[in-house]
Amino acid sequence: MPCPYEPTSPGLPRSMPKRANRGAGSRKRPGSFDLPLDSNMIQVIREAKQTPPDVADRLARAGGVNLYGQPNYRAVWGWSRLGWIGGKWTDRDARGDVIREVVEVRRVPKYEPFDRWHIEKWIPPEMYGRPARWRELTAELEGVQLCEALGPYPSEGEYEHCVTLEAAGEFVPLDAASVETIVRMIEFSRLIPRSASLAAIRQREDKAGTDYENWAYDVLDDGMPAMHGLPFIVRP
Amino acid sequence: MPVLNNSQSIALQLEKVRPKVPVLFERDDVLLSLIQKRSDAEKTSSRNMRVPLQVRPGGKASQHTMDGDDLGLGSGSVYDVAQLSPVFETFGVQITKLVEYATTGNERAVENATKREVASGMKQFRTYLDTLLQTNGNGVLGSIASFATTTWTLTSPQGSALFYYNQDVQVYDSTLTTNRGAATITSVDPLNKQITVNANPGGLTAGDVLVPSGLSGAQPVSLFGVKYHHVDSTVGTWMGLTRATYPEALKTPHFAAGNAALVPANVRLAVNKLRKVLGVDVLSREKLIAYMAPEQEHAWEQLGVTISEIVRNQVPADSGMPDLLFNQNVERRMAGVPIKTSIHADTTRIDFLALKRWGRAVMKEIDYYEVGGQTVFPVYGASGGLASAYLFYFTTGFQVFMDGPRYGAFIDGLAVPAGY
Repeated sequence: MPCPYEPTSPGLPRSMPKRANRGAGSRKRPGSFDLPLDSNMIQVIREAKQTPPDVADRLARAGGVNLYGQPNYRAVWGWSRLGWIGGKWTDRDARGDVIREVVEVRRVPKYEPFDRWHIEKWIPPEMYGRPARWRELTAELEGVQLCEALGPYPSEGEYEHCVTLEAAGEFVPLDAASVETIVRMIEFSRLIPRSASLAAIRQREDKAGTDYENWAYDVLDDGMPAMHGLPFIVRP
Repeated sequence: MPVLNNSQSIALQLEKVRPKVPVLFERDDVLLSLIQKRSDAEKTSSRNMRVPLQVRPGGKASQHTMDGDDLGLGSGSVYDVAQLSPVFETFGVQITKLVEYATTGNERAVENATKREVASGMKQFRTYLDTLLQTNGNGVLGSIASFATTTWTLTSPQGSALFYYNQDVQVYDSTLTTNRGAATITSVDPLNKQITVNANPGGLTAGDVLVPSGLSGAQPVSLFGVKYHHVDSTVGTWMGLTRATYPEALKTPHFAAGNAALVPANVRLAVNKLRKVLGVDVLSREKLIAYMAPEQEHAWEQLGVTISEIVRNQVPADSGMPDLLFNQNVERRMAGVPIKTSIHADTTRIDFLALKRWGRAVMKEIDYYEVGGQTVFPVYGASGGLASAYLFYFTTGFQVFMDGPRYGAFIDGLAVPAGY
């Protein structure tokens, strides 16, 4: 039986642009569900979505394209974006009890929450080091089996997570204007001097202490009598 | 009938705010309060709390012809019990009568003075407990790299980040065997990783370690912090269990960065280790967070895959601009995992905490220390007479546990970006 998170069709997620967007899956309407492709295999139906063309265009315009002609930024649906994970898997039943441990490489949704849109950015291959170094870092020995924990070396770079589209933990629909703003903010962030960026983080942490004190005073005020117990006079 | 004066009403004022004390304590802005009290963590007595664990799965699988062949025997799961007992932490607040008189113009001023001390005292107490949660359970908040008179330079990476002004500390030798004595911190310089103390204990040596005041005896035990539970080792013990007995089950998956800068692959390797153990939906099901110091958050920003903090601050939520970014609440995430930053966290580590797997065994909830209904106590002078001051204490007794060291992951040995 294939792993529960095995993709319903092999290959790259449908939201990958251009070259990756091949196959029957790419012609599905946004929001459609995958159907079993082979009646001899157990298939797990999962919600798959495709990035609307207008959003993809806005992202490409805002973030540019890489040396392979692919956009630097893209929006992917959580269930559709799969990534390699290799190693020893511990499978559990509904109660959380361990039912088996197995060493294998699986393709599973890369980001959580699965039912959200995520903005990704293309990272060039040099960010991952040389292939030999990659294998050195990601090879995991499980018993006598050697696994590539992150799959093959990303020789053409890889997309990495930037932002999850949600507000207060709730779903936010994919909107071209919003994602373009996010991309422009990320790109603008890259121009900020390191010292200013560092100062902003420190300032935020300092403010957290002040915020706590102010909040604590308010909470304690709630425990006090009205007007802090001061006598007050009502003018006749 | 005598008039009720301010000094006699102090206890009354503390009682007014008493129900608010747990509220002030539990706010989830530090690691301590992120670790929820779990429903299965009953209030504990002075006996050890027991945490039963299914350490290894049971059952024997095999394939057969069913043509009269031997089906073999079965097996069962391996269970064991981890144990822990709470430790008591106390925070004393002392107010002189002069402070009280100086703020006494009317009843309101006195109430505000009390309120101020309760709020700031609680803030400091929470900070203190949070610093203990960064340690490996022995209470070591820092160690001395070198010293010049009463100025001590502490070792990296924590340096002096876990100390505060006027804190009393106990100095031990590096093996935590010899208690050299106490010292009071008179200044803290986190940037230079230095503290200054009132006087050096006798026999002070480079390599000595600092633990909170009140710990005594060899190999003291304090709160079990992140570095107690998140350990990738097969030696030593964890909550009473010998790691060597279950070497695969009692160690935390980790990735050693080898003093290299943070890159996305590091994070994915660490998170994936956790997903393999807890399931691919670990983030939402287990309340996974990436716990780190500002230094590593900054390092992540430098990779250019996220919105800088300074850009987030540019456009206030109430600026009237179109709400394209959902009131600026785009959560800070690292490879999809929510980021929780703490100035107390180890600057060279990123810990992925599955918060649902953590809990507190509580013997005494946070409250004022009380004797016969009295929560404010007089201070006595050297003569035996009363001193012109009074005291109150916050006190709590608990210990921090988790279901098992495997239910977490961490990256260590990360390079700290230049400028820190």
